[in-house]
Amino acid sequence: MENNVNSKEETTDLKLRELLKQAQLDYDSATITTFVNNTVSSIKDFIDKIPENLKVNAKLAPGFIRDIGADKVEFTFKKPKSIEIGGSYSIQAIAKPDISVDVFIRLPKECFHEKDYLNHRYHGKRCLYLCIIKKYLSLSSGVKKIEWSTFQNEGRKPVLNVYPVQELGELPGFFIRLIPTAISSLFNVAKLKLTRSNLHGPNQEGDARPATPRYNTSILEDMFLEHNSEFVRNCFNGWRELGEALILVKVWARHRSSIYAHDCINGFLLSVIMSYLASKSGGNRINKSLKPMQIFRVTMDFIASSKLWDKGLLLQPQGQYNISKEVADQEKKSISKEERTQYRQLFPVVLIDSSFHFNLAFRFTRNGFLELRDEASLALNFIDKCKEGGFEEVYMTKVDFPAKYDYCLRLNLRENDKVYASGYCSDDECWRTYEEKVYSLLEQGLTDRTKLIRVTWRNSSSEWKIEEGFSKFGADALLAGILVSSCETSFRVVDIGPDAENKEEGLKFRKFWGEKAELRRFKDGTIAESTVWECRQWERHLIIKRISEYILLRHLSLPKENIVHVADQLDFSLLNGVGAFEVLSKRLRNLDDIPLKISSVQPLDSAFRFTSVYPPEPHPMAYEKDVGHKSQLLPTCIQPVEVMIQARHLTIGLFSLEGSGNWPVDDVVIEKTKSAFLLKIGESLQNTWGMTCNATGNDVDVLMSGYAFRLRILHERGLGMLKKQVGNSQTRRISSTDKELFIRSQHSSMINGLHGRYPIYGPVVRLAKRWIASHLFSSYLADEAIELLVAHLFLKPQPFYAPCSRITGFLRFLRFLSSYDWMFTPLVIDINNDFTSEDEKEITVSAITFNENFMLSRKSYEENVQNVESAMFLATSYDKASEAWTIFSPNLYELRRLAAYARSSAEYLTNLILKNQIESQKWECLFRTPLNNYDAVILLHRDLLPFPQRLLFPSEMTQGRHVAQGDASRDFHPYVLGNMKGRINEMKNKVMVNFDPARCFLNDLKGEFQNTFKLWYDSLGADAIGLTWDKPNSKKRVREEETEEHQDPIGILRDVGEIGKGFVRSVYLLKAPRLKT
Amino acid sequence: MDKHRGKSSKVERIKMRKKLLEKEGLLELSKEGDMPSENKLKNENLMKETIVKKKDKLSGKKRKEQNVTEAAVDKVDHPGSHAKDSSKRIKYEKSVEGKEEKKKKKLSKKKRNKQIVSGANVSEIDELDSEGEDGSKKLKDGSLATKKSARLQKADVAVNKRTKKSERVGKKKKDQIPLEEDNKLIKEENGSLASEVYHISSVDVDFSKGMKKWITEYHQSRPGLEILQQRIDEFITSHEEQEEQKRKEKEALAAEGGWTVVVHQKGRKKTTDAESGTTMGSVAQAAVIEKMKNVKKKDVGPDFYRFQKRDAQRNEIMMLQSKFEQDKKRIQQLRAARKFRPY
Repeated sequence: MENNVNSKEETTDLKLRELLKQAQLDYDSATITTFVNNTVSSIKDFIDKIPENLKVNAKLAPGFIRDIGADKVEFTFKKPKSIEIGGSYSIQAIAKPDISVDVFIRLPKECFHEKDYLNHRYHGKRCLYLCIIKKYLSLSSGVKKIEWSTFQNEGRKPVLNVYPVQELGELPGFFIRLIPTAISSLFNVAKLKLTRSNLHGPNQEGDARPATPRYNTSILEDMFLEHNSEFVRNCFNGWRELGEALILVKVWARHRSSIYAHDCINGFLLSVIMSYLASKSGGNRINKSLKPMQIFRVTMDFIASSKLWDKGLLLQPQGQYNISKEVADQEKKSISKEERTQYRQLFPVVLIDSSFHFNLAFRFTRNGFLELRDEASLALNFIDKCKEGGFEEVYMTKVDFPAKYDYCLRLNLRENDKVYASGYCSDDECWRTYEEKVYSLLEQGLTDRTKLIRVTWRNSSSEWKIEEGFSKFGADALLAGILVSSCETSFRVVDIGPDAENKEEGLKFRKFWGEKAELRRFKDGTIAESTVWECRQWERHLIIKRISEYILLRHLSLPKENIVHVADQLDFSLLNGVGAFEVLSKRLRNLDDIPLKISSVQPLDSAFRFTSVYPPEPHPMAYEKDVGHKSQLLPTCIQPVEVMIQARHLTIGLFSLEGSGNWPVDDVVIEKTKSAFLLKIGESLQNTWGMTCNATGNDVDVLMSGYAFRLRILHERGLGMLKKQVGNSQTRRISSTDKELFIRSQHSSMINGLHGRYPIYGPVVRLAKRWIASHLFSSYLADEAIELLVAHLFLKPQPFYAPCSRITGFLRFLRFLSSYDWMFTPLVIDINNDFTSEDEKEITVSAITFNENFMLSRKSYEENVQNVESAMFLATSYDKASEAWTIFSPNLYELRRLAAYARSSAEYLTNLILKNQIESQKWECLFRTPLNNYDAVILLHRDLLPFPQRLLFPSEMTQGRHVAQGDASRDFHPYVLGNMKGRINEMKNKVMVNFDPARCFLNDLKGEFQNTFKLWYDSLGADAIGLTWDKPNSKKRVREEETEEHQDPIGILRDVGEIGKGFVRSVYLLKAPRLKT
Repeated sequence: MDKHRGKSSKVERIKMRKKLLEKEGLLELSKEGDMPSENKLKNENLMKETIVKKKDKLSGKKRKEQNVTEAAVDKVDHPGSHAKDSSKRIKYEKSVEGKEEKKKKKLSKKKRNKQIVSGANVSEIDELDSEGEDGSKKLKDGSLATKKSARLQKADVAVNKRTKKSERVGKKKKDQIPLEEDNKLIKEENGSLASEVYHISSVDVDFSKGMKKWITEYHQSRPGLEILQQRIDEFITSHEEQEEQKRKEKEALAAEGGWTVVVHQKGRKKTTDAESGTTMGSVAQAAVIEKMKNVKKKDVGPDFYRFQKRDAQRNEIMMLQSKFEQDKKRIQQLRAARKFRPY
């Protein structure tokens, strides 16, 4: 066992090394360091050349000065006191791909007056100073472009991003961030205490002025920026492991876009926290003997579970650190108790800087901090519980807004003047205040329906012109993420408010909810205020959307089109009407009345486990009696649902078999006997219940209650035999009918159980299936395999929680499909937790052999793609060797194609959720497949599809060569006219059970052209079929034959058209097969 | 998508199309001053026909070449991939017109080039003809060089782009050549099989293929319960008869020869038929299983002997080692696939 642990650690270590190599900047490389130094010093030189004694006034950035409300900003320009590299580059902890070097420009004291901390004067001058630098720098030939940006998303503290002309291949997108700082003695710190008010409005006097803690801190931050940076640098200097650990932490945090944000954590704060932990005041939790991975762990543990956060952290400079000691001595040793309480009251997170003057974490919001702790404790969990130390989950998987949150809400607030009705900047900035407002509204409205709500408004400023002020600063949308607590509470219909007697609370409730609030009397006799969100069963997932939209509209008076709530945008692809199933399942039990000893009746079809994209609808012609249907068009085709009858003893001597008492040996005979039984059953049902029985030599369908049931018999004894075989040999891969039935019934009951646990599972599977089919992958990924893949997302949701909305689940499915490493990792789907470690071992072993086979076949892959069968290993409790669903397909080539499609769809969907695209048409594109990715395309007659209403988009070809076209057959119509009184039987004959011309067509094609091409189609009914030519296989086939076959693609396609006579609309050739050279 | 056209009105059509194109500003060739006059065009069209008739051998090659140009033009016309049906449709119609026109221009231009080059090239072409694909490519390159048409170069770039794109999809395209060959092939067929669209005929008459066949099969496979049952009965009877026959043959054989080989049967009498799993004889399987449960397990464990233990341990270690090795291999592969990049 110990060995096992060791090897596990070793692999994780190996991986972490690799990761670090990728993320670290190579500081030993002379080219990089000299490049950076040269660039910085050339900028420095240029700044030094700016003539002194320039008179600077507000005209350089009138908009900015106006919007922050600063007065008296004129000053005379002096050279900066120092220009130095700071930030992550100085502690060798830059994590790629964000390669920027922070350069601190210390503003000279001469430019400021003693009282400039008042009324944003400091901020104004700070900005104007940068304007001068920008003005002169842009004249430099060494600078490609200069952009305005902000310091930690704080609009009143702009910084400059300078992109040098010269670029280095190792550092793509390199830029230098010019950050103005001030010396600590610029202003009297006592004037900037939390309780002081430094924004003097014209009408306010003396004590009436509210304190401005955030404004004060904003100035203090600049004054002690270098000081704190120094503190961090002293800690990190010469401590390689600590630096590497910081990179790991950064990689972890960056993948979580919702915590790597202005109101939560950033690289600097992380380094501060880690230096705190390494210092004496932090209890030396990090010491020199720890490896980077262990430091990571300690840091996570501290963030997640330390009680010190409630008290507030206090950075204490270390003994050997002289300067800070002096400073500390000058001021005072520590901060007083009252001050601590003050901090705690004002800020959710307190992290007092090493000079004891201000709270470094003053931008933190409560919800941001909660999320940070949550993510940190999750990370710890992954390290312990997940395989390979949680490497994938912690460092490699993107946990961004769309994938993490169940519901994403986007508020488009561009040019909405309500946001800054009371000025852009007061103590806090208007955007932050608005964030807070939206958050509290959502929190109040959704109550315990949510686990977590997160609201952030990132002000990207790449196109921001600072001269114009802030009116365009909030152009990006405000994002809110909602994590659902559980499906029962989150989708409940009634919210019960305060009791009727509690007048005060009731009034508040009414004020908040407006007309939605109503007094109700409940079953237990209480009368209370309440809100009711009535809706149909399958619309319950939209309740959250309805509530949040209602509240935001009511309280923020936004136009409705500015709220985009991602919830139902993909529902168009699914039909609803699941309700009828309850009845159906119940009626099934009535099938007991058949001449067999039946041990159970089990549903096989995906419709019963709520995972079929189009659940069957009751058909008027499929009832036992004539149900009075109105004159309407009825569909011709009925999709049968499969039902399995499990029989233990077949006691009736039906045929000449009776003498032996033996169940026949031969497979064919078994099946024949079964159909004989089924026919008998069907006949008896027909006679006693009046159910129509529709039978062929192989299948028996009975029509009942509007549905067609396809009956199958599982013979248990045959199964016993199979079980034995499963135990000893994996080599036997013949799927006998009994085995198939058994596996399908196992799968069905397993998935059914899962659906009970996760109500959202069904819709996600349906979207996934719809997507797979829409991109014509139906023949390569079995429906059951899709169900298992989605099941995995629910059972092992790390690094997320199990999805609680269909779109999030669907997005994760796409991402999973695009990134899972099928080559080396078997996917184990353990629904009922019944795998023991032994089972796991067995699976690993069989997966290894599988892989070896796989690798072997990979060698031959160079020559021939078709040889590689089954690139997906799905192990379940009923199928440990992955033989059930993915044994024949997808192969490597198909899987890659699938992954590529998934990747682009996932990206597309992410963009849809995050960016400003409101038109519903864009959402449809997810299910619209580009037809030019095939070598040839067959278009079918739309009106001959068995279920034309399921066609999402009509396909047209705009390219390729039109090879053949054909008329529609008149013998088949997907609809029949329903109004034929008294001729029910005739009508019943017109109804076709399980007739699908597309399937017939495909079967014929496969029979006719076995190795000529691959077929890509949509089993749910699209009107296009894609063809790709098989790669010619030189070894297996005689050359002449092959050339003969391949030289006439047009002839082949015409034959294809002929085979689909009456069904094929046209055939297009896009690419001819490649000739062997 | 009407491609049926008589040859007689070609020139008129060309005129019309030209006007249309001029309106649309698509006529780049005329700007280049390279535009052949209509007369010339006519002549050349005539000449083309004669040439086609005369130089049978050559014409195939030539057509290939023309087709390359056409293919290239095709690519230029359709750079987009996601086609929006309704909006594209109009555009599409236009582009078909334009395409046709461009093709014409290309063809005639080509022809002229051909005339210039052909004298020098005839012998070469003959040689090339036997060489096959490579040769034709060379030829194409040659003509490309002489022509230096900006348009064609553009088209070439587009082809390049496409190639890259298709590479991304995951198909390994080694270079541009096979794709060009593909296009050539498409258009070759285009030439040899006449350009009209094949019409699938006798839709509801032909019982052997297509919709008619499937519907017929559907109905034929449902003859009614009685008939089905009868069929099964027949099958079973015939099967029984066969079995009986076999048995009789066996017996007859035994009787005839007077003796059979007696095979020694190992072990106890079986209670379960090996193939079907059905119980034979008097002991029920369930009873046996029940009984077996009570029987004490007598077989020794795998760690009875010391060497077994050692072996097991060694195996375990070997397994782990191999797994570790595999992991390392995997990491290398992943590194190659940039799987460790956290961004």
